[in-house]
Parts: sequence; C-alpha cells; structure tokens
Amino acid sequence: MESAEYRNSLIELIYQLADDDFILAYRGSEWLGLAPHIEEDVAFSSISQDLMGHATLYYSLLEELGEGDADKLTHARSPHDFHNAVLLELPNGQGTYLEEPNYDWAFTVVRNYFYTLAKKVRLQSIKENSYESLQQIVKKISVEMSYHLMHWETWFDQLMNSTPEAKRRMTDAINIVLKEMRGVFSYGENGEKIVRLSLIEREEVLIQRWKDILNEKVDFSLDIEMSLDGRNGKHTDHLEGALSTLSEVYQSVPSAEW
Amino acid sequence: MSEGEKDFYQVYEVFSKKNDKAPLQYQFSLLAPNRELAFIMAKENFFRREQPADIWVVKRDDIRTMTQEEREGMKNLDKSYRETKGYGYLKKKWRKYEQEQLTEKDIMGGGNH
Amino acid sequence: MEAVYQQNIDHFMDRINNGEKIEADDWMPDEYREALIRLISMHGISEIMGALPEKEWVPKAPTLHRKLAIMAKVQDEMGHGQLLLRVAEDLMAPLGKNRDDIMKDLFSGRLKFHNVFHMEAPTWGDAGIIAWLVDGAAIISQTMMLGTSYGPYGRALKRICAEEVFHAQHGESIIMALAEGTEEQRELLQDALNRWWTSLLMFFGPKSKNETGHSNQDKNMQYKLRTKTNEELRQEFLTKYVPRIWALGLTIPDPTLKFDEEKSEWEYADPDWSEFKKIVTGNGPKSKERLALRVRSYEMNSWVREALGKRPQHI
Repeated sequence: MESAEYRNSLIELIYQLADDDFILAYRGSEWLGLAPHIEEDVAFSSISQDLMGHATLYYSLLEELGEGDADKLTHARSPHDFHNAVLLELPNGQGTYLEEPNYDWAFTVVRNYFYTLAKKVRLQSIKENSYESLQQIVKKISVEMSYHLMHWETWFDQLMNSTPEAKRRMTDAINIVLKEMRGVFSYGENGEKIVRLSLIEREEVLIQRWKDILNEKVDFSLDIEMSLDGRNGKHTDHLEGALSTLSEVYQSVPSAEW
Repeated sequence: MSEGEKDFYQVYEVFSKKNDKAPLQYQFSLLAPNRELAFIMAKENFFRREQPADIWVVKRDDIRTMTQEEREGMKNLDKSYRETKGYGYLKKKWRKYEQEQLTEKDIMGGGNH
Repeated sequence: MEAVYQQNIDHFMDRINNGEKIEADDWMPDEYREALIRLISMHGISEIMGALPEKEWVPKAPTLHRKLAIMAKVQDEMGHGQLLLRVAEDLMAPLGKNRDDIMKDLFSGRLKFHNVFHMEAPTWGDAGIIAWLVDGAAIISQTMMLGTSYGPYGRALKRICAEEVFHAQHGESIIMALAEGTEEQRELLQDALNRWWTSLLMFFGPKSKNETGHSNQDKNMQYKLRTKTNEELRQEFLTKYVPRIWALGLTIPDPTLKFDEEKSEWEYADPDWSEFKKIVTGNGPKSKERLALRVRSYEMNSWVREALGKRPQHI
C-alpha cells in the first residue's frame, strides 16, 4: 500500500461499493414472497442473494484492510457511517414487508435496472485500473451482474412497451429514480482523491457512459439529481429503519455467536 | 381476472445441457407471459445450484407429445433385428469354431471416444 | 358405455398395481384426478404460505452468512411451491382452471394450507425450530411419497427432496448455535420448541377420521399416492428427533412422552384435534394475517400480469 492517503481513499471507495449492494440486497429480500408471480419471486431472490454475496466479498476485503469484522460492519454501524447512495435505501413502496406492504414493482424494476447499469459502468472502470485485490473481486462480480442486467432490462423493456397503465407507472418510477440517480455516481467529499489516485474514473465520465447506453433505448431526458449525498453519510430516515430491522437479532444478544 | 391476466400464464417447457457434450435434458415447466421472460425465469427456477451449459425454453403448445395409446403401442414393437441383443446366439456359434465373438469395443476399433 | 368405463378403470388399476406411472394426459378416473388436485394443490400452496413465517426472519437474520442461507432456503420453498403448483395446474387444465383459480381458492378459504403455517414465529428461535423440525417433518412425509403412482408428482418430489438435505443442515446449524450459545439464546430455543411442539405432532394429521371426522388417507393409499399412515409417519418423526432434542438438553413440553419398548412405539399426549380443525380452516393465530399478505401481493401486482398478458408474444 503506497500511502495513508491511498489506503483511506481505497477504503472509502470499497465502502461505497459494498454498502450499495448490501442495502439494495436488503430491499430485495423484503420482496421475498410478494413478487408478481411465483417464478419471478424465485428468480428475484437469486439476484438479492447474489447482491448480498457481492457485498460480502467487498466487506471481507475491508476486513483484510483492517476495518474489522464483516458482520459488525453490516450489523453494528450507525447510519451516518453508511456510504450507500440514497436511491438504494428508499423503501419498495408503502407499508412494511410484514404489514400492509403496498410495493411498487415499476419502481423496483427501474431502480434495479438503472442501478445495475451504473454498476456495470462503475465496475468496468475499476476492472481497467485500480487496486489489484479490488480488481479481482470486481471481475468475479461482473459475471453474475450481467445476468442481473439481462433480467431487469427484460422487465424494463416489456413494461415500457405494454399497456398505458404500465407505461404511466413506469414513467412515475423513472422520475423518482432520476431524482436520486446522481448520488449513485457520486464519490462524496473525497472524490477528488479517489480519482486522482486512479482508483476509478471521474464521475462525469461514468455518467456519460451510462447515459449513452440508456439513450439508445429511451426517448426521455436523463437529467439526474440527488437530494442528499449518501457518500458523505447523509441519509433519509429510511436507512435507519432498514438498519434497525436488519440488525434486530444481532443486537438482541450483544457479543453472541449466531 | 381480466383477459390480460389470464394470458399472463403461458406454459413453457425448460430443457438444459449440463455441458457441451451432454444431451439435452428435460427439466420442468414454468409459467411466463412470453418467451423472453420464460427464459430469464428458467435459470433461477431450475438451476439454483448447478451451472448449465445451455438452456432452452419452448412453449408447450408448440410441442407434440405422445398420447397414452401411442406410448403403450410403442411397447409392443420388436426391434431386436436391429439391436445387438437380437444376435446373442452368435457368441455360442463362434465358440464352436474356437473363436471369441468380437465385442462392441473390438468392432468400434481404436477410435478415441 | 358402462363397460368401456369399467375397462378403463381395470386397465388403470393394473397400471398402478404394476408400478407404472400415470402421466398428465393419461386416462384417469375423476376420483383419482380429484384426489391428486386436492393433495398436490394443498402441498404446493403450503410451500408458498410456508415461506411467509420464515420470510419474516429473512431481513433480520443475525449475520451475513445467516442472511444468505435463510434467503436461499425460503427461495427454495417458493421454488418447491412453483414445481407443485405446475403439477396441480396441469391436472386442473382439463377443468378449465389455472394458477389464478388456485389463488382464488386460497383466498376464499376453499383451498387449505398446512396447519404449521398458521402459527406465530415471534423470534429467531422459531426460525431455527421451523428449519430444523418442521422441515424435518416435511422431509419424512415427502420422501414417503416419492414412489407415488402419479409421475409428474414423483418427479417434482425428487427435485424437492434433493434440496431438503441443505434445509435440514441449515436448520441444524441455526439451532446448534443457539443451543451452544448464551443463556438468552438457549431460552430463545426452548421457548420456540415449547411453542411448536403441538403443531409438530399435528403436522402429520389425525390417526384416523375418528379424530376429525374426515380423512383422505385410505383413498390416497389405494391409489398409491402414499404408502404410510399418518401415525406411522409421526412415529418415524419421534424416533428421529426426540433423542436429538433431548441430547441438546432441551425439554419437550409433554411429561407423558416416552418410548414404550413393549409396543415398540412412542406414547405421547394426543394434541387437541378440534384445535387442529380450527387452525386448518383458517382460524389459527396467524391465518388471517398471512392470507392477507398473500392477497395483498396478488392485488398490488395485478397490473403487471395484466400488462404483460396483453402484450403480443415474441417481442
């Protein structure tokens, strides 16, 4: 490892990658048993498992870099230490997964499709030039990711080209997702160092690549924004809710083995 | 249930190959509204633990299968004249001439399969 | 007409008695079709409803590894439901019915689901007991039906049983960690066992129709859909699990439970079968909530099925 600055920037980038996948996997796991039909329920669950598996790979790299136990990182970190983009912490819809869920499949399809496409662009940039152990992990993850992309792209294309109701719901969902999409590409306040140290390319470069791919199939404008920068630990209350649910058992008997 | 919802449930049959040398094997059926979705459902519904080398999905309406009568009819056909088991008596005959009957391996020769 | 029917029946029973497998489009007596639809749609929908109590613990599982494993396990249950419903749907197709009708029957209470899935699962201990013992019980009754006379059901069960080995070990691993854990963790486990014991005895159903006034087991045995009685399965379960439960130092909430060497069978306090009847008719502690969750998921996604059902195929 070259310098403290390099090490810190690398760790920051890995947290961003890890927390994004982890929180979206959690949101996906809330859908289990509630998808539009049984076959999709099974297929979607594999994607959530894969995402959590990807997060686990990143967290174990953080473990190696001295950040501590992966279970602790995921189950005992406070919300402002999470560096996921706000888009991924937004709930699946109204209600909770236990009570009166009124989940929005259109939002889930759009969020997952736009995110997975951004993930592809991000990982592609890391694969070409970054920290070697990270590059190796990213190569493994890319294989599964291409299946996820195909899955969400198929749903996206089909729902966009079906009934007027579906089109309306998809358009609403796209507007919500675009409002936070900028945050997925942000590297936060340390972004300048992360880029200067060649861990990944500039935000604007990645955003342009993402837009170029999407522009081939959609005719709406892709103006992306964000309300809060999750990379700087700024989050909605939804993250706190999610973290307290996912760590409920872990926290119930501190220091126990599970 | 609307007409649209009824048409969502189409039956697709799923086949796969374990590796590029393996024959196509029937797996199971699933419901999907069209071929593309049937295809993306197939992998996770039937191959959660092993990685297939190839997957086929076919709409059930496009497959002609045998009826019970046809299947039962098949059982009665004797095809021993074109199978090796119809020529088992030759082994004894050759022994009479103090020769061993050529085995399948001998006949197929030295080709590496 | 009468004579042709008798001929068909005789040929059908010959096939069954010769160990041949009946396929979906084969001739079968209406009574056989009905017995299969009843058995397999209930089995299938129970897998789907069975995902719900465990699903409550999927987002909450205490470590990354446990989160992944329980997600995979509940996903498998949904997958088993998928296989079984497909088998039931093919049997219902000649009657003009499909998956939608199965769901409607579930919502109206016509189609029942298994008694265990009406129960509460308030702690992580329940997630462990469900995976260990409820699944253990399910494995016993499913392997018994592997030789079923109906080919598609047998093939679905074969796929299902192959995955159950992972489920059993997943369950054992959860309860082992709790049993070897802190005082609180052991308590969690013991409480869950106390909650589930009666349901586990009920799992295999009543001994005969004397208990509930209704049983399909005789007919199902005649058609070779099953090979053992409810009580034989329950005895198998007790033999397999009671010694293990005791070995972990847990207490089974039945002071009369013991193995009668002479009769070579387990004696146990018979559960209250009127309670069983109440539960399976949709009046268990969680029946309404779980059903409501299923209805909710069906309704909130109906626009998706409508949208894609209306799209032309092949684009």
